[in-house]
Amino acid sequence: MMRGLFTLIAFISTVLFPWPLTVLLTLGVSLYEPLVPLAIGIFADTLYYTPQVGVLPLFTIYGLIAAVIAFFVRSRLKTSIIGR
Amino acid sequence: MKRNALLSSANLSWGTLALALAVLFLLVRLLAPNFFWYAFTPALRAGDALAQMSHTFLSSFDNAATLALQNEKLSQENAALTIENEALLEKTNSVSQLGANSQGITAGVVARPPESPYDTLVVAAGSEGGVTLGEEAFGEGNVPLGTVTSLLAHISRITLFSAPGASLLGWVGPTHVPLIIKGGGAGTLSASVPRSAGVTVNDVVSVPGPGSLPIATVVRIDSDPSSPSVTLRIQPSLNLFSVTWVVLRDTGITLQNAFSTTTTPTKP
Repeated sequence: MMRGLFTLIAFISTVLFPWPLTVLLTLGVSLYEPLVPLAIGIFADTLYYTPQVGVLPLFTIYGLIAAVIAFFVRSRLKTSIIGR
Repeated sequence: MKRNALLSSANLSWGTLALALAVLFLLVRLLAPNFFWYAFTPALRAGDALAQMSHTFLSSFDNAATLALQNEKLSQENAALTIENEALLEKTNSVSQLGANSQGITAGVVARPPESPYDTLVVAAGSEGGVTLGEEAFGEGNVPLGTVTSLLAHISRITLFSAPGASLLGWVGPTHVPLIIKGGGAGTLSASVPRSAGVTVNDVVSVPGPGSLPIATVVRIDSDPSSPSVTLRIQPSLNLFSVTWVVLRDTGITLQNAFSTTTTPTKP
């Protein structure tokens, strides 16, 4: 339940709060939900991406990188209770 | 009813749901942009307002730091001014005590020749300031300059010793040879002494005050072989027309007036 709550706060933070807080929340949640950074990246680009500024959807790319790293870390934590 | 293992609730994590939600928002933006912006505009405006508030809040800390620096600087300046003020106050007290010891009235010169008649000074102190007729005016270095000859409430006129017709008793030389100093006008003085007195150029001429006060020096001696006396040309120690401040002081004129009043014979 707490994971869901923090995921929701990360979404709200993308709209309301400064981006450093959003990054911090997303990275924290990514320890338990590796897909959240990618989801937040896509959501941020949905809100703020403009083709005139740049071709690449940077938030999505950063989110993807964070998600891959989170998956990698989780795979290394074999005895961890994080995944349970 | 068939159950799909991939879509079972046991396999759905919050991350998956979040990803699905994000993709849903992306699709809405791509397929129905008007509706998307209509729905999200209030949220984005709220985000802007919140960002503005947080910026203002954080800026207040910057202002507080600036104010603290300014406060510290002003405190230092205030301390410096306080010290300076105390020093000036002490100086003022010292000057006041000095003035009290000299028992005189310090007055600024309002007019000097050629604004005033030659060999007179007009000073800014009068009867309301305690000045009386006959008081002597002293310049820098306690050099006698003249006497108060006219008096108003706030203004006095001083006739210098160099005025034509003015005369005063004095001495000349190291042996204090008595002589009568006469005003020659335009700031010059002269006196006549016996040739045998041995007066030389640069001898100091002094007048009685409290003791003997140097007033001038002999700059030239005019002698006539047929005369038993010589004429001394005397130059005042101060340039009488460049004096800016004078001290007015009673040198006994009140006492002399009292004596003259009590010794005047009365008619039977």
